Amino acid sequence: MEWKRLRRKFAKNPLNLISVVVFALFLAMAFFPQIFTQFEPNRMNSAVRMISPTASHIFGTDQFGRDIYSRVVHGVRETLSIAFLSIVLACVLGTALGVISGFYGRWIDQIVMRLMDAMFAFPTIILALFIIALYGASQKNLIIALGIVYTPIFTRTVRGSTISIKQFLYIKAAKALGKRDLSIMLKDVLPNLTSVLIVSFTTNFSTAVLSEASLSFLGLGVPPPTPTLGGMVGQGSNFLLSAPWIALFPGLFIALIVLSINIIGDGLRDVLDPRY
Amino acid sequence: MIATYIFGRVLSAVPTILILTFIVFLAIHLVPGDYIDIMLGTQNYLTDEQLSGLYKQYGLDKPFVVQYGIWLKNLITFNFGTSLRTGQKVSAMILEKLPVTFELAFFALFFSLVFGIPLGITSAVKRNRFGDYVVRVLGLIGLSAPTFWIGAILIVAVSGLFQDYTLFGFVSFQKDMAKNLQILLIPSLTLGLMLAAQIMRMARSSMLDVLSQEYVKVAKAKGVSTWKVIYRHALKNAMIPVITTAGIQFGYLMGGTILIENMFALPGLGRLLLQSVNQRDYPVIQGVVLFTGVFIVLMNILVDILYTLIDPRIDLR
Repeated sequence: MEWKRLRRKFAKNPLNLISVVVFALFLAMAFFPQIFTQFEPNRMNSAVRMISPTASHIFGTDQFGRDIYSRVVHGVRETLSIAFLSIVLACVLGTALGVISGFYGRWIDQIVMRLMDAMFAFPTIILALFIIALYGASQKNLIIALGIVYTPIFTRTVRGSTISIKQFLYIKAAKALGKRDLSIMLKDVLPNLTSVLIVSFTTNFSTAVLSEASLSFLGLGVPPPTPTLGGMVGQGSNFLLSAPWIALFPGLFIALIVLSINIIGDGLRDVLDPRY
Repeated sequence: MIATYIFGRVLSAVPTILILTFIVFLAIHLVPGDYIDIMLGTQNYLTDEQLSGLYKQYGLDKPFVVQYGIWLKNLITFNFGTSLRTGQKVSAMILEKLPVTFELAFFALFFSLVFGIPLGITSAVKRNRFGDYVVRVLGLIGLSAPTFWIGAILIVAVSGLFQDYTLFGFVSFQKDMAKNLQILLIPSLTLGLMLAAQIMRMARSSMLDVLSQEYVKVAKAKGVSTWKVIYRHALKNAMIPVITTAGIQFGYLMGGTILIENMFALPGLGRLLLQSVNQRDYPVIQGVVLFTGVFIVLMNILVDILYTLIDPRIDLR
Protein backbone atom coordinates (compact mmCIF):
# COMPACT_ATOMS: atom_id res chain seq x y z
CA MET A 1 0.00 0.00 0.00
CA GLU A 2 2.56 2.54 1.17
CA TRP A 3 5.17 1.50 -1.39
CA LYS A 4 2.59 1.44 -4.17
CA ARG A 5 1.65 5.05 -3.43
CA LEU A 6 5.29 6.13 -3.34
CA ARG A 7 5.99 4.32 -6.58
CA ARG A 8 3.13 6.06 -8.31
CA LYS A 9 4.35 9.43 -7.04
CA PHE A 10 7.86 8.67 -8.33
CA ALA A 11 6.59 7.53 -11.74
CA LYS A 12 4.56 10.72 -12.20
CA ASN A 13 7.66 12.56 -13.40
CA PRO A 14 8.69 11.25 -16.83
CA LEU A 15 12.29 12.35 -16.23
CA ASN A 16 12.48 9.90 -13.32
CA LEU A 17 11.34 7.04 -15.51
CA ILE A 18 13.78 7.89 -18.30
CA SER A 19 16.61 8.00 -15.77
CA VAL A 20 15.66 4.61 -14.36
CA VAL A 21 15.75 3.14 -17.88
CA VAL A 22 19.10 4.79 -18.66
CA PHE A 23 20.58 3.62 -15.40
CA ALA A 24 19.25 0.09 -15.97
CA LEU A 25 21.05 0.14 -19.31
CA PHE A 26 24.31 1.03 -17.57
CA LEU A 27 23.73 -1.77 -15.07
CA ALA A 28 23.23 -4.20 -17.95
CA MET A 29 26.53 -2.98 -19.45
CA ALA A 30 28.25 -3.56 -16.12
CA PHE A 31 26.95 -7.10 -15.79
CA PHE A 32 27.01 -8.28 -19.42
CA PRO A 33 29.46 -6.07 -21.36
CA GLN A 34 29.89 -8.78 -24.05
CA ILE A 35 26.31 -8.31 -25.24
CA PHE A 36 26.99 -4.67 -26.05
CA THR A 37 30.33 -4.99 -27.78
CA GLN A 38 31.98 -6.89 -30.60
CA PHE A 39 35.63 -6.08 -29.80
CA GLU A 40 37.85 -7.12 -26.91
CA PRO A 41 38.46 -3.97 -24.80
CA ASN A 42 42.22 -4.56 -24.68
CA ARG A 43 42.80 -5.88 -28.21
CA MET A 44 45.30 -3.68 -30.02
CA ASN A 45 45.17 -3.30 -33.76
CA SER A 46 47.87 -1.21 -35.38
CA ALA A 47 45.89 -1.00 -38.62
CA VAL A 48 43.23 1.20 -37.05
CA ARG A 49 45.18 3.54 -34.76
CA MET A 50 43.43 6.76 -33.72
CA ILE A 51 40.74 6.63 -36.36
CA SER A 52 37.76 8.91 -35.84
CA PRO A 53 34.30 7.41 -35.23
CA THR A 54 33.12 5.16 -38.09
CA ALA A 55 30.40 2.55 -38.56
CA SER A 56 32.50 -0.29 -37.15
CA HIS A 57 34.18 1.78 -34.42
CA ILE A 58 31.35 4.09 -33.43
CA PHE A 59 33.44 5.96 -30.83
CA GLY A 60 36.68 5.68 -32.83
CA THR A 61 39.91 4.04 -31.66
CA ASP A 62 42.79 5.08 -29.41
CA GLN A 63 46.55 5.32 -29.99
CA PHE A 64 46.89 1.51 -29.78
CA GLY A 65 43.99 0.85 -32.14
CA ARG A 66 41.72 -0.30 -29.32
CA ASP A 67 38.00 0.22 -29.83
CA ILE A 68 36.88 3.10 -27.59
CA TYR A 69 33.26 1.98 -27.43
CA SER A 70 34.20 -1.51 -26.15
CA ARG A 71 36.54 0.01 -23.60
CA VAL A 72 33.90 2.46 -22.44
CA VAL A 73 31.33 -0.31 -21.96
CA HIS A 74 33.81 -2.38 -19.96
CA GLY A 75 34.84 0.71 -18.02
CA VAL A 76 31.28 1.18 -16.80
CA ARG A 77 31.60 -2.03 -14.77
CA GLU A 78 34.76 -0.86 -13.01
CA THR A 79 33.34 2.55 -12.18
CA LEU A 80 29.94 1.34 -11.00
CA SER A 81 31.23 -1.54 -8.91
CA ILE A 82 33.88 0.55 -7.13
CA ALA A 83 31.48 3.41 -6.46
CA PHE A 84 28.72 1.06 -5.32
CA LEU A 85 30.84 -1.05 -2.99
CA SER A 86 32.52 1.98 -1.46
CA ILE A 87 29.16 3.55 -0.68
CA VAL A 88 27.92 0.26 0.80
CA LEU A 89 31.00 0.30 3.03
CA ALA A 90 30.46 3.96 3.95
CA CYS A 91 26.77 3.33 4.59
CA VAL A 92 27.46 0.40 6.94
CA LEU A 93 30.28 2.14 8.83
CA GLY A 94 28.50 5.48 8.93
CA THR A 95 25.19 4.00 10.08
CA ALA A 96 26.88 2.03 12.86
CA LEU A 97 28.83 5.07 14.06
CA GLY A 98 25.88 7.42 13.64
CA VAL A 99 23.40 5.24 15.54
CA ILE A 100 25.84 4.60 18.39
CA SER A 101 26.80 8.27 18.53
CA GLY A 102 23.23 9.51 18.48
CA PHE A 103 21.89 6.82 20.80
CA TYR A 104 24.45 7.14 23.58
CA GLY A 105 25.35 10.82 23.19
CA ARG A 106 27.81 12.30 25.69
CA TRP A 107 31.50 11.41 25.37
CA ILE A 108 31.01 8.70 22.74
CA ASP A 109 29.19 11.24 20.61
CA GLN A 110 31.92 13.82 21.24
CA ILE A 111 34.72 11.50 20.18
CA VAL A 112 32.96 10.18 17.08
CA MET A 113 31.80 13.57 15.90
CA ARG A 114 35.14 15.31 16.43
CA LEU A 115 36.77 12.55 14.40
CA MET A 116 34.21 13.04 11.65
CA ASP A 117 34.71 16.83 11.74
CA ALA A 118 38.41 16.33 11.19
CA MET A 119 37.76 14.05 8.22
CA PHE A 120 35.30 16.56 6.80
CA ALA A 121 38.10 19.10 6.67
CA PHE A 122 39.63 17.32 3.69
CA PRO A 123 38.16 17.58 0.20
CA THR A 124 36.96 14.07 -0.71
CA ILE A 125 39.44 13.62 -3.48
CA ILE A 126 42.43 14.77 -1.42
CA LEU A 127 41.69 12.34 1.41
CA ALA A 128 41.07 9.46 -1.00
CA LEU A 129 44.23 10.33 -2.91
CA PHE A 130 46.18 10.40 0.35
CA ILE A 131 45.04 6.88 1.25
CA ILE A 132 45.71 5.58 -2.26
CA ALA A 133 49.14 7.22 -2.28
CA LEU A 134 50.06 5.44 0.92
CA TYR A 135 48.65 2.01 0.21
CA GLY A 136 48.77 1.76 -3.59
CA ALA A 137 46.15 1.85 -6.31
CA SER A 138 44.06 -1.29 -6.61
CA GLN A 139 40.37 -2.02 -6.80
CA LYS A 140 40.28 -3.07 -3.14
CA ASN A 141 42.17 0.02 -1.92
CA LEU A 142 39.99 2.34 -3.97
CA ILE A 143 36.86 0.86 -2.40
CA ILE A 144 38.33 1.18 1.10
CA ALA A 145 39.62 4.72 0.49
CA LEU A 146 36.33 6.01 -0.92
CA GLY A 147 34.40 4.06 1.73
CA ILE A 148 36.33 5.79 4.51
CA VAL A 149 36.02 9.19 2.85
CA TYR A 150 32.23 8.94 2.55
CA THR A 151 31.68 7.55 6.06
CA PRO A 152 31.42 10.93 7.84
CA ILE A 153 28.56 12.02 5.57
CA PHE A 154 26.48 9.00 6.58
CA THR A 155 27.50 9.30 10.22
CA ARG A 156 26.30 12.88 10.41
CA THR A 157 22.96 12.21 8.72
CA VAL A 158 22.23 9.04 10.69
CA ARG A 159 23.25 10.61 13.99
CA GLY A 160 20.83 13.49 13.46
CA SER A 161 17.95 11.16 12.66
CA THR A 162 18.79 8.85 15.57
CA ILE A 163 18.65 11.74 18.02
CA SER A 164 15.15 12.66 16.88
CA ILE A 165 13.96 9.02 16.79
CA LYS A 166 15.27 8.57 20.33
CA GLN A 167 12.68 11.07 21.58
CA PHE A 168 9.79 8.88 20.44
CA LEU A 169 7.68 7.27 23.13
CA TYR A 170 8.09 3.71 21.92
CA ILE A 171 11.86 3.91 22.31
CA LYS A 172 11.45 5.14 25.85
CA ALA A 173 8.93 2.36 26.44
CA ALA A 174 11.33 -0.24 25.09
CA LYS A 175 14.01 1.09 27.41
CA ALA A 176 11.64 1.05 30.38
CA LEU A 177 10.76 -2.56 29.59
CA GLY A 178 14.43 -3.42 29.95
CA LYS A 179 15.09 -4.21 26.30
CA ARG A 180 18.81 -4.38 25.52
CA ASP A 181 20.41 -1.35 23.84
CA LEU A 182 21.64 -3.31 20.86
CA SER A 183 18.23 -4.75 20.23
CA ILE A 184 16.62 -1.29 20.45
CA MET A 185 19.16 0.10 17.98
CA LEU A 186 18.69 -2.74 15.51
CA LYS A 187 14.95 -3.32 15.79
CA ASP A 188 13.52 0.07 16.72
CA VAL A 189 15.95 2.72 15.46
CA LEU A 190 17.34 1.18 12.28
CA PRO A 191 14.03 0.52 10.46
CA ASN A 192 13.14 4.19 10.92
CA LEU A 193 16.28 5.24 9.12
CA THR A 194 15.35 3.49 5.86
CA SER A 195 14.14 6.49 3.89
CA VAL A 196 16.99 8.71 5.10
CA LEU A 197 19.47 6.04 4.09
CA ILE A 198 17.94 5.48 0.66
CA VAL A 199 18.17 9.18 -0.19
CA SER A 200 21.67 9.49 1.26
CA PHE A 201 22.80 6.39 -0.57
CA THR A 202 21.74 7.61 -4.01
CA THR A 203 23.13 11.14 -3.67
CA ASN A 204 26.47 9.87 -2.42
CA PHE A 205 26.58 7.07 -4.97
CA SER A 206 26.59 9.65 -7.75
CA THR A 207 29.40 11.69 -6.18
CA ALA A 208 31.35 8.48 -5.54
CA VAL A 209 31.18 7.76 -9.27
CA LEU A 210 32.70 11.20 -9.85
CA SER A 211 35.35 10.62 -7.18
CA GLU A 212 36.36 7.28 -8.66
CA ALA A 213 36.49 8.85 -12.11
CA SER A 214 38.61 11.74 -10.80
CA LEU A 215 41.12 9.43 -9.13
CA SER A 216 41.34 7.32 -12.29
CA PHE A 217 41.76 10.50 -14.33
CA LEU A 218 44.77 11.37 -12.16
CA GLY A 219 46.20 7.91 -12.79
CA LEU A 220 45.40 6.65 -9.30
CA GLY A 221 42.55 4.32 -10.22
CA VAL A 222 42.64 0.65 -11.11
CA PRO A 223 45.92 0.30 -13.01
CA PRO A 224 45.97 -0.16 -16.81
CA PRO A 225 45.28 -1.95 -19.08
CA THR A 226 41.94 -2.42 -17.27
CA PRO A 227 39.70 0.19 -18.88
CA THR A 228 38.29 2.81 -16.49
CA LEU A 229 36.21 5.74 -17.66
CA GLY A 230 38.22 8.35 -15.78
CA GLY A 231 41.50 6.78 -16.81
CA MET A 232 40.49 6.90 -20.47
CA VAL A 233 39.77 10.62 -20.21
CA GLY A 234 43.13 11.08 -18.51
CA GLN A 235 44.99 9.16 -21.22
CA GLY A 236 42.97 10.78 -23.99
CA SER A 237 43.76 14.27 -22.67
CA ASN A 238 47.15 13.96 -24.34
CA PHE A 239 45.45 13.68 -27.74
CA LEU A 240 42.68 16.25 -27.31
CA LEU A 241 43.68 18.24 -30.35
CA SER A 242 44.41 15.34 -32.71
CA ALA A 243 41.88 12.74 -31.52
CA PRO A 244 39.33 14.32 -29.17
CA TRP A 245 37.02 11.26 -29.25
CA ILE A 246 39.45 9.26 -27.09
CA ALA A 247 38.70 11.49 -24.09
CA LEU A 248 35.27 12.89 -24.86
CA PHE A 249 33.21 9.68 -25.16
CA PRO A 250 34.30 8.12 -21.85
CA GLY A 251 33.64 11.49 -20.19
CA LEU A 252 30.17 11.58 -21.71
CA PHE A 253 29.43 8.19 -20.19
CA ILE A 254 30.54 9.35 -16.74
CA ALA A 255 28.29 12.40 -17.07
CA LEU A 256 25.31 10.27 -18.17
CA ILE A 257 25.77 7.76 -15.34
CA VAL A 258 26.00 10.51 -12.73
CA LEU A 259 23.13 12.45 -14.27
CA SER A 260 20.80 9.45 -14.24
CA ILE A 261 21.64 8.68 -10.61
CA ASN A 262 21.20 12.33 -9.64
CA ILE A 263 17.75 12.53 -11.23
CA ILE A 264 16.71 9.28 -9.55
CA GLY A 265 18.09 10.64 -6.27
CA ASP A 266 16.15 13.91 -6.61
CA GLY A 267 13.01 11.91 -7.43
CA LEU A 268 13.46 9.64 -4.42
CA ARG A 269 14.02 12.63 -2.16
CA ASP A 270 10.85 14.29 -3.38
CA VAL A 271 8.94 11.10 -2.64
CA LEU A 272 10.54 10.04 0.63
CA ASP A 273 11.45 13.29 2.33
CA PRO A 274 8.38 14.99 3.79
CA ARG A 275 10.10 18.38 3.71
CA TYR A 276 10.05 18.55 -0.08
CA MET B 1 30.74 39.84 23.15
CA ILE B 2 31.92 39.44 19.59
CA ALA B 3 35.50 39.04 20.74
CA THR B 4 34.46 36.27 23.14
CA TYR B 5 32.58 34.54 20.36
CA ILE B 6 35.51 34.73 17.97
CA PHE B 7 37.88 33.47 20.65
CA GLY B 8 35.56 30.57 21.47
CA ARG B 9 35.14 29.66 17.83
CA VAL B 10 38.88 29.64 17.21
CA LEU B 11 39.43 27.58 20.35
CA SER B 12 36.83 25.03 19.28
CA ALA B 13 38.88 24.30 16.17
CA VAL B 14 41.92 23.23 18.15
CA PRO B 15 40.71 19.65 18.84
CA THR B 16 39.63 19.31 15.20
CA ILE B 17 43.05 20.36 13.97
CA LEU B 18 44.75 18.07 16.51
CA ILE B 19 42.70 15.07 15.38
CA LEU B 20 43.39 16.01 11.79
CA THR B 21 47.14 15.95 12.38
CA PHE B 22 46.79 12.66 14.20
CA ILE B 23 44.89 11.08 11.28
CA VAL B 24 47.63 12.14 8.86
CA PHE B 25 50.41 10.96 11.17
CA LEU B 26 48.72 7.64 11.87
CA ALA B 27 47.94 6.97 8.21
CA ILE B 28 51.58 7.45 7.25
CA HIS B 29 52.73 5.27 10.14
CA LEU B 30 50.48 2.39 9.19
CA VAL B 31 52.16 2.12 5.80
CA PRO B 32 54.27 -1.00 5.49
CA GLY B 33 57.93 0.05 5.61
CA ASP B 34 59.08 3.49 6.72
CA TYR B 35 60.86 6.61 5.51
CA ILE B 36 64.21 4.86 5.54
CA ASP B 37 62.98 2.02 3.30
CA ILE B 38 61.45 4.49 0.92
CA MET B 39 64.51 6.72 0.82
CA LEU B 40 66.88 3.86 0.20
CA GLY B 41 64.58 2.21 -2.30
CA THR B 42 65.84 -1.09 -3.66
CA GLN B 43 69.51 -0.11 -3.36
CA ASN B 44 69.93 -0.94 0.28
CA TYR B 45 73.57 -1.87 0.91
CA LEU B 46 73.82 -0.38 4.41
CA THR B 47 75.04 -2.35 7.42
CA ASP B 48 72.73 -2.81 10.39
CA GLU B 49 74.79 -0.30 12.31
CA GLN B 50 74.47 2.38 9.64
CA LEU B 51 70.73 1.64 9.45
CA SER B 52 70.18 2.10 13.16
CA GLY B 53 72.19 5.32 12.92
CA LEU B 54 69.76 6.56 10.29
CA TYR B 55 66.81 5.49 12.44
CA LYS B 56 68.20 7.49 15.32
CA GLN B 57 68.81 10.51 13.14
CA TYR B 58 65.17 10.56 12.04
CA GLY B 59 63.86 9.71 15.50
CA LEU B 60 62.29 6.50 14.26
CA ASP B 61 63.72 4.52 17.20
CA LYS B 62 61.50 6.40 19.65
CA PRO B 63 58.01 5.23 20.70
CA PHE B 64 55.02 6.18 18.55
CA VAL B 65 53.65 8.83 20.91
CA VAL B 66 57.01 10.53 21.28
CA GLN B 67 57.45 10.59 17.51
CA TYR B 68 54.01 12.18 17.17
CA GLY B 69 54.92 14.76 19.81
CA ILE B 70 58.15 15.73 18.04
CA TRP B 71 56.37 15.89 14.70
CA LEU B 72 53.62 18.06 16.17
CA LYS B 73 56.16 20.40 17.72
CA ASN B 74 57.76 20.80 14.31
CA LEU B 75 54.39 21.48 12.69
CA ILE B 76 53.67 24.36 15.04
CA THR B 77 56.86 26.04 13.86
CA PHE B 78 55.73 25.43 10.27
CA ASN B 79 58.42 22.79 9.84
CA PHE B 80 56.92 20.13 7.57
CA GLY B 81 60.25 18.43 6.96
CA THR B 82 62.18 18.24 3.69
CA SER B 83 61.42 16.62 0.37
CA LEU B 84 62.95 13.18 -0.11
CA ARG B 85 63.61 13.97 -3.77
CA THR B 86 64.83 17.54 -3.90
CA GLY B 87 65.91 18.18 -0.32
CA GLN B 88 63.93 21.42 -0.36
CA LYS B 89 61.91 22.47 2.66
CA VAL B 90 58.29 21.31 2.26
CA SER B 91 56.96 24.57 3.71
CA ALA B 92 58.92 26.56 1.12
CA MET B 93 57.62 24.33 -1.67
CA ILE B 94 54.02 24.87 -0.51
CA LEU B 95 54.46 28.64 -0.26
CA GLU B 96 55.98 28.71 -3.73
CA LYS B 97 53.06 26.85 -5.36
CA LEU B 98 50.27 28.39 -3.32
CA PRO B 99 49.80 31.64 -5.32
CA VAL B 100 48.97 29.70 -8.50
CA THR B 101 46.33 27.60 -6.76
CA PHE B 102 44.90 30.64 -4.98
CA GLU B 103 44.64 32.60 -8.17
CA LEU B 104 42.91 29.70 -9.91
CA ALA B 105 40.50 29.17 -7.01
CA PHE B 106 39.80 32.89 -6.72
CA PHE B 107 38.86 33.28 -10.40
CA ALA B 108 36.84 30.07 -10.28
CA LEU B 109 34.88 31.44 -7.35
CA PHE B 110 34.38 34.71 -9.21
CA PHE B 111 32.97 32.91 -12.28
CA SER B 112 30.76 30.67 -10.15
CA LEU B 113 29.17 33.70 -8.46
CA VAL B 114 28.81 35.64 -11.71
CA PHE B 115 26.97 32.73 -13.36
CA GLY B 116 25.38 31.08 -10.34
CA ILE B 117 23.68 33.95 -8.53
CA PRO B 118 21.78 35.60 -11.43
CA LEU B 119 20.69 32.22 -12.80
CA GLY B 120 19.56 31.03 -9.39
CA ILE B 121 17.56 34.19 -8.75
CA THR B 122 15.93 34.13 -12.19
CA SER B 123 15.05 30.50 -11.65
CA ALA B 124 13.40 31.26 -8.30
CA VAL B 125 11.48 34.26 -9.59
CA LYS B 126 10.23 32.36 -12.66
CA ARG B 127 9.46 29.30 -10.56
CA ASN B 128 7.94 26.39 -12.50
CA ARG B 129 8.07 28.24 -15.78
CA PHE B 130 10.18 27.50 -18.82
CA GLY B 131 13.21 29.53 -17.71
CA ASP B 132 13.23 27.76 -14.36
CA TYR B 133 13.29 24.34 -16.02
CA VAL B 134 16.13 25.32 -18.33
CA VAL B 135 18.21 26.62 -15.43
CA ARG B 136 17.46 23.58 -13.27
CA VAL B 137 18.44 21.16 -16.04
CA LEU B 138 21.65 23.14 -16.60
CA GLY B 139 22.33 22.94 -12.87
CA LEU B 140 21.78 19.20 -12.83
CA ILE B 141 24.14 18.75 -15.77
CA GLY B 142 26.70 20.97 -14.06
CA LEU B 143 26.55 18.79 -10.96
CA SER B 144 26.83 15.58 -12.97
CA ALA B 145 29.49 16.30 -15.56
CA PRO B 146 33.02 15.59 -14.35
CA THR B 147 35.13 18.76 -14.15
CA PHE B 148 37.91 17.26 -16.24
CA TRP B 149 35.45 16.37 -19.00
CA ILE B 150 34.15 19.95 -19.13
CA GLY B 151 37.79 21.01 -19.25
CA ALA B 152 38.46 18.65 -22.18
CA ILE B 153 35.45 19.99 -24.08
CA LEU B 154 36.56 23.57 -23.50
CA ILE B 155 40.09 22.79 -24.69
CA VAL B 156 38.74 21.22 -27.89
CA ALA B 157 36.26 24.05 -28.42
CA VAL B 158 38.66 26.93 -27.73
CA SER B 159 41.47 25.51 -29.83
CA GLY B 160 39.00 24.85 -32.66
CA LEU B 161 37.39 28.29 -32.58
CA PHE B 162 40.42 30.44 -31.82
CA GLN B 163 43.40 28.82 -33.49
CA ASP B 164 46.05 31.10 -32.01
CA TYR B 165 44.74 31.13 -28.42
CA THR B 166 47.49 30.02 -26.03
CA LEU B 167 46.03 27.49 -23.59
CA PHE B 168 49.19 26.17 -21.97
CA GLY B 169 52.50 27.53 -20.68
CA PHE B 170 51.89 29.22 -17.35
CA VAL B 171 53.59 32.51 -16.50
CA SER B 172 53.23 34.26 -13.16
CA PHE B 173 51.03 37.29 -12.65
CA GLN B 174 54.03 39.48 -11.76
CA LYS B 175 55.92 38.51 -14.90
CA ASP B 176 53.27 38.96 -17.58
CA MET B 177 49.83 39.95 -16.36
CA ALA B 178 48.00 39.67 -19.68
CA LYS B 179 49.40 36.26 -20.52
CA ASN B 180 48.81 35.02 -16.98
CA LEU B 181 45.14 35.96 -17.18
CA GLN B 182 44.78 34.47 -20.65
CA ILE B 183 46.26 31.13 -19.55
CA LEU B 184 44.14 31.02 -16.41
CA LEU B 185 40.86 32.00 -18.08
CA ILE B 186 39.83 28.57 -19.36
CA PRO B 187 41.00 26.56 -16.31
CA SER B 188 39.21 28.85 -13.88
CA LEU B 189 36.12 28.91 -16.06
CA THR B 190 36.09 25.09 -16.02
CA LEU B 191 36.37 24.95 -12.26
CA GLY B 192 33.94 27.83 -11.87
CA LEU B 193 31.20 26.19 -13.94
CA MET B 194 31.20 23.17 -11.64
CA LEU B 195 30.83 25.37 -8.59
CA ALA B 196 28.29 27.61 -10.35
CA ALA B 197 25.85 24.69 -10.43
CA GLN B 198 25.99 24.41 -6.65
CA ILE B 199 25.81 28.16 -6.10
CA MET B 200 22.85 28.35 -8.46
CA ARG B 201 20.89 25.66 -6.63
CA MET B 202 21.67 27.33 -3.33
CA ALA B 203 20.68 30.79 -4.62
CA ARG B 204 17.44 29.39 -6.03
CA SER B 205 16.28 27.66 -2.84
CA SER B 206 17.40 30.54 -0.66
CA MET B 207 15.55 33.04 -2.85
CA LEU B 208 12.42 30.88 -2.79
CA ASP B 209 12.59 30.87 1.01
CA VAL B 210 12.83 34.63 1.19
CA LEU B 211 10.13 35.21 -1.42
CA SER B 212 7.64 33.31 0.73
CA GLN B 213 8.29 35.59 3.73
CA GLU B 214 5.63 37.99 4.96
CA TYR B 215 7.59 41.21 4.35
CA VAL B 216 8.05 40.33 0.70
CA LYS B 217 4.34 39.64 0.34
CA VAL B 218 3.54 42.94 2.03
CA ALA B 219 5.84 44.84 -0.30
CA LYS B 220 4.21 43.17 -3.27
CA ALA B 221 0.74 43.94 -1.92
CA LYS B 222 1.74 47.59 -1.63
CA GLY B 223 2.27 47.53 -5.37
CA VAL B 224 6.05 47.52 -5.51
CA SER B 225 7.21 45.98 -8.79
CA THR B 226 8.56 42.42 -8.66
CA TRP B 227 12.15 43.24 -9.58
CA LYS B 228 12.21 46.15 -7.16
CA VAL B 229 11.02 43.86 -4.36
CA ILE B 230 13.76 41.45 -5.21
CA TYR B 231 16.42 44.10 -5.46
CA ARG B 232 15.42 46.14 -2.42
CA HIS B 233 14.14 43.52 0.00
CA ALA B 234 14.84 39.93 -0.90
CA LEU B 235 18.33 39.95 -2.36
CA LYS B 236 20.30 40.84 0.74
CA ASN B 237 18.67 38.24 2.94
CA ALA B 238 18.76 35.57 0.28
CA MET B 239 22.44 36.07 -0.37
CA ILE B 240 23.67 35.35 3.16
CA PRO B 241 23.52 31.53 2.87
CA VAL B 242 24.84 31.74 -0.70
CA ILE B 243 27.92 33.69 0.34
CA THR B 244 28.45 31.26 3.21
CA THR B 245 28.37 28.34 0.78
CA ALA B 246 30.77 30.16 -1.49
CA GLY B 247 33.16 30.80 1.39
CA ILE B 248 33.15 27.20 2.49
CA GLN B 249 33.48 26.03 -1.10
CA PHE B 250 36.56 28.18 -1.58
CA GLY B 251 38.41 25.83 0.75
CA TYR B 252 37.04 22.74 -0.93
CA LEU B 253 38.05 24.11 -4.34
CA MET B 254 41.49 22.81 -3.36
CA GLY B 255 40.10 19.41 -4.32
CA GLY B 256 39.01 20.57 -7.74
CA THR B 257 42.23 22.42 -8.44
CA ILE B 258 44.21 19.17 -8.41
CA LEU B 259 42.26 17.97 -11.46
CA ILE B 260 42.42 21.28 -13.29
CA GLU B 261 46.08 21.98 -12.54
CA ASN B 262 47.07 18.61 -13.92
CA MET B 263 44.88 18.98 -16.96
CA PHE B 264 46.15 22.47 -17.83
CA ALA B 265 49.74 22.00 -16.60
CA LEU B 266 49.52 24.76 -13.98
CA PRO B 267 52.35 24.65 -11.42
CA GLY B 268 50.17 24.83 -8.30
CA LEU B 269 49.66 22.87 -5.11
CA GLY B 270 47.56 20.16 -6.78
CA ARG B 271 50.22 19.43 -9.35
CA LEU B 272 52.85 19.33 -6.61
CA LEU B 273 50.69 16.84 -4.71
CA LEU B 274 50.23 14.51 -7.68
CA GLN B 275 53.92 14.68 -8.56
CA SER B 276 54.86 13.79 -5.00
CA VAL B 277 52.39 10.92 -5.04
CA ASN B 278 53.97 9.56 -8.20
CA GLN B 279 57.46 9.95 -6.72
CA ARG B 280 56.41 8.59 -3.29
CA ASP B 281 57.72 11.77 -1.70
CA TYR B 282 55.90 11.27 1.61
CA PRO B 283 56.94 14.44 3.50
CA VAL B 284 55.59 16.58 0.64
CA ILE B 285 52.35 14.56 0.35
CA GLN B 286 51.86 14.82 4.08
CA GLY B 287 52.61 18.54 4.10
CA VAL B 288 50.22 19.41 1.28
CA VAL B 289 47.40 17.23 2.66
CA LEU B 290 47.78 18.71 6.13
CA PHE B 291 47.99 22.23 4.80
CA THR B 292 44.76 21.73 2.85
CA GLY B 293 42.93 20.33 5.89
CA VAL B 294 44.04 23.08 8.25
CA PHE B 295 43.33 25.73 5.63
CA ILE B 296 39.75 24.48 5.25
CA VAL B 297 39.18 24.40 9.03
CA LEU B 298 40.43 28.00 9.30
CA MET B 299 38.36 29.02 6.28
CA ASN B 300 35.22 27.58 7.90
CA ILE B 301 35.91 29.53 11.08
CA LEU B 302 36.35 32.72 9.10
CA VAL B 303 33.06 32.12 7.30
CA ASP B 304 31.29 31.43 10.60
CA ILE B 305 32.60 34.64 12.10
CA LEU B 306 31.71 36.75 9.06
CA TYR B 307 28.27 35.14 9.03
CA THR B 308 27.60 36.19 12.60
CA LEU B 309 28.77 39.69 11.86
CA ILE B 310 26.56 40.04 8.77
CA ASP B 311 23.41 38.36 10.00
CA PRO B 312 21.87 40.21 12.95
CA ARG B 313 19.48 37.33 13.63
CA ILE B 314 22.22 35.12 14.99
CA ASP B 315 22.44 35.19 18.75
CA LEU B 316 26.01 35.27 19.96
CA ARG B 317 25.22 33.73 23.30
